[in-house]
Amino acid sequence: MEIKKKYLSNSSKLILSTVFLLFIVILPILALIYSVFGVELDNFSYLWENLLFEYSIDTIYLVSLTSFFSLIFGIIPAWYVSTNNFRGKNFYDIMLYLPLAIPAYIMAFTYSDILSYTGPIQSFSRKYFPGLADFLNRDYLQIEILSIIMALSLYPYIYTACRLSFSLIGSNYIELSRSLGMSSTKTFFKIIIPLSRVSIFSGLFLVIMEVLNEYGAVQYFGVNTFTSGIFRSWYSMQDVQTASLLAIILFAVVVMFFLTERYVNSKFKFNYKPNTKNYVSNHTSKTKKILLHISCLFPIFLGFIIPVLFIINNVIYEFEKIDFVRVFNLTTNTVLISLTASIIIIIIAVYFQFIKRIIRNRAVSLLNDAISLTYALPGAVIGLSLIILVTKTPFKSEIMIGSFSLLVYAYVMRYMAVGISPLKSSFEKHPSSFDDTAFNLGMGPLKLFRRIHFPINKSAIAIAFLITFVDIIKELPITLILTPFNFDTLSVQTYQYAVDEMIPKSAIYSLTIVMLGTILLIFLKKIVNKQIDVSKNN
Amino acid sequence: MRNVFYLSIIVLFTSCMPNKKNSNEINIYSQRHYDSDKLQYKKFEEETGIKVNVTKAGADELIQRMKNEGDNSQADLFITVDVGKLWQASDMGLFQKFDDQTVFDNLDPQFLDKNGYWVPVTYRSRVVVYSNERVKKEDLSTYEDLANEKWRGRLLVRSSSNAYNQALVSSLVANLGPDAVTSWSENIVKNFARDPKGSDRDQVKAIAAGQGDIAIVNSYYIGLLLSSEKEEEIKAGNAVSVFFPNQGENERGAHINVSGIALLKNASNKENAIKLIKYLTSEEGQQTYVNNSYEYAINPNVKPDSIVQAWGEFKKDPVDLNMLGIMRDEAIRIFDKTGWK
Repeated sequence: MEIKKKYLSNSSKLILSTVFLLFIVILPILALIYSVFGVELDNFSYLWENLLFEYSIDTIYLVSLTSFFSLIFGIIPAWYVSTNNFRGKNFYDIMLYLPLAIPAYIMAFTYSDILSYTGPIQSFSRKYFPGLADFLNRDYLQIEILSIIMALSLYPYIYTACRLSFSLIGSNYIELSRSLGMSSTKTFFKIIIPLSRVSIFSGLFLVIMEVLNEYGAVQYFGVNTFTSGIFRSWYSMQDVQTASLLAIILFAVVVMFFLTERYVNSKFKFNYKPNTKNYVSNHTSKTKKILLHISCLFPIFLGFIIPVLFIINNVIYEFEKIDFVRVFNLTTNTVLISLTASIIIIIIAVYFQFIKRIIRNRAVSLLNDAISLTYALPGAVIGLSLIILVTKTPFKSEIMIGSFSLLVYAYVMRYMAVGISPLKSSFEKHPSSFDDTAFNLGMGPLKLFRRIHFPINKSAIAIAFLITFVDIIKELPITLILTPFNFDTLSVQTYQYAVDEMIPKSAIYSLTIVMLGTILLIFLKKIVNKQIDVSKNN
Repeated sequence: MRNVFYLSIIVLFTSCMPNKKNSNEINIYSQRHYDSDKLQYKKFEEETGIKVNVTKAGADELIQRMKNEGDNSQADLFITVDVGKLWQASDMGLFQKFDDQTVFDNLDPQFLDKNGYWVPVTYRSRVVVYSNERVKKEDLSTYEDLANEKWRGRLLVRSSSNAYNQALVSSLVANLGPDAVTSWSENIVKNFARDPKGSDRDQVKAIAAGQGDIAIVNSYYIGLLLSSEKEEEIKAGNAVSVFFPNQGENERGAHINVSGIALLKNASNKENAIKLIKYLTSEEGQQTYVNNSYEYAINPNVKPDSIVQAWGEFKKDPVDLNMLGIMRDEAIRIFDKTGWK
């Protein structure tokens, strides 16, 4: 006990260091708030009267539709893969997850090219099925089509969450329910969905955040979301204050949504004994099997295989004109900056989780939660807030604009929460008696970390690292706003060619992003699988 | 772990340092990112040995960035494709005056900045293209006439957030006054064949696809479609013809816009930057633009590409080009009021 006390007397220093780190991470939000003071409401009321109402309605509509489609694309295959043994199960499992490697904006560019008048579908039908061609050649349901496209690249968030939860539920509940005479459909809706509610919501929350964050796809489809309003006042009206006001409104709405979700879900937390045995259904009718296969193959084909083939086709078409030196340089830039940012994120995130464990203080864990809030800020808003921070506040330093470090700072802010979430659950899993024993044996905090926490949380650290790394490689809005001088990344180059109507030229850059993502995700999946299948160890 | 941490701290701090300004470089913020521009810079580098660094982004982003960077901006030059943005940035005090007479001697005086801040490099016209099948050339006359009821449900145009549309409507405001343009815009919206979306090229494709009959687009896009390697794009380009509006005897001529370049207030590589401006406006530089992007040359000695020449000569709206920037706010308000998305 003596040792522990001695150690804990140092804890004020540690708390101070977390407060300091937290301050750094959320500083730009403070800058945003600072910038709103003294805002004149002329422009705001002008925007509200003419545009914002419509933008907000469109945003809500887009978010709802994308959520709806993501749930469908995510939950059904997750259920099927988790509860059935069939040939190619592992293949499905990985493939269902890979659309995460394709950023929504690349998905949108690719599909708008595929679906356009000069694209393959319409050209083909014009040649062979003129009647169908007229039907296809219409221009309707913009938001609806965009929402399906975005759902195709975002549903893996729900798939992964459900997959984990479904396999943790295990066989007891399902067998009990079936033996009480419930049909499998009924079991699914009455038992599985309610038990998985928390994870479904956590996946859905990520989907919603990504829709609000989306910039490239939305711009390309000409759908005006709330973020368009922010840009409208920032760029067209040159009114940073109104832009900040809108950003804060958006932030407040998301935070409220986030807190409500937490509150509601906390009431639904069940304590069930997880995963005694994986439930595997052996009696599935043929028609049902076919339906389930279709429900898996649909997102696999539309979400990964077709867009990738199309991108590859464009790469072949442009092959002779490809500037491979440039591709290589941009890839190096992208990897370098993503690596730097994700390493910093992981260091801070691990530090926070570790401190939270050894200090066990309510205030510290509250700080810990607060740091994740920055995820509720769309990338464009983070860009805006950092620009404000370095130009308008007492922390003014104009040389920072367009510097490598400002971009890294922005990434760290945006993706801190992404890195924290896998670490958090892992760090919370192990009993606190580990720490007590270690302290009693005279281990200092550093040694405790190196000897115990690092090894037992190794795979969570790897997961957190890989997820943030992939996300940053794909990142677009922040990079567009803050790119350093002469430092293009793959995502920026893809976007620029695409908005210049040169989709085939953008293909090699898209393909590089997708390939990097795919490789990293396959690694990630391997680590995650080891964790899911606890049953295998039993 | 600790080493990684220190390393990243070092990386962070070193990257904070401003880059040393190399005397044999130029730094450009450019909205143009066509391959013709890459070719220009490559040729310029070969001829002069001066290295050209380019940061590419949208004009709004770049202007915002120059404004934020203030005196510390690394950029020497700003290049954009819309004169409205050139005016806006010069109005914000971001540029220094450019007064090298040897450059102006090469250029058509109609396109020059009366205030002397920016230099044009190419110009383009925003024209009407019409379906060869469904529209007779005689039915077309002026921009004003596009509001006519006979075009109900037949007109295609991209979103009002696009700078080319903002410039066109600014020119109308400058010529006709805001009230007339407001009612014009109301009728234009009624004439839309669909909600505005996509790019200029998409509007042409939409005519080919039969979604509408006429479209407002920049002239060079037709050249780009016709010279495409995709069969379907060439087909789309061939399905339409180019019409220059307001060519009648007492009419003002077709709307034009320029792509231009300007020297930043604190350009640290001023001499090199001036060399590049000279190069881009020289016959050689102008020829590269004309051949690759189907724009019109500012240098009267350089003839447009043969595809473009086939559309013939046309009368140009003589309005002071800065008006396209000055009237932009008014134009945007008209778009918002009349529901031009």
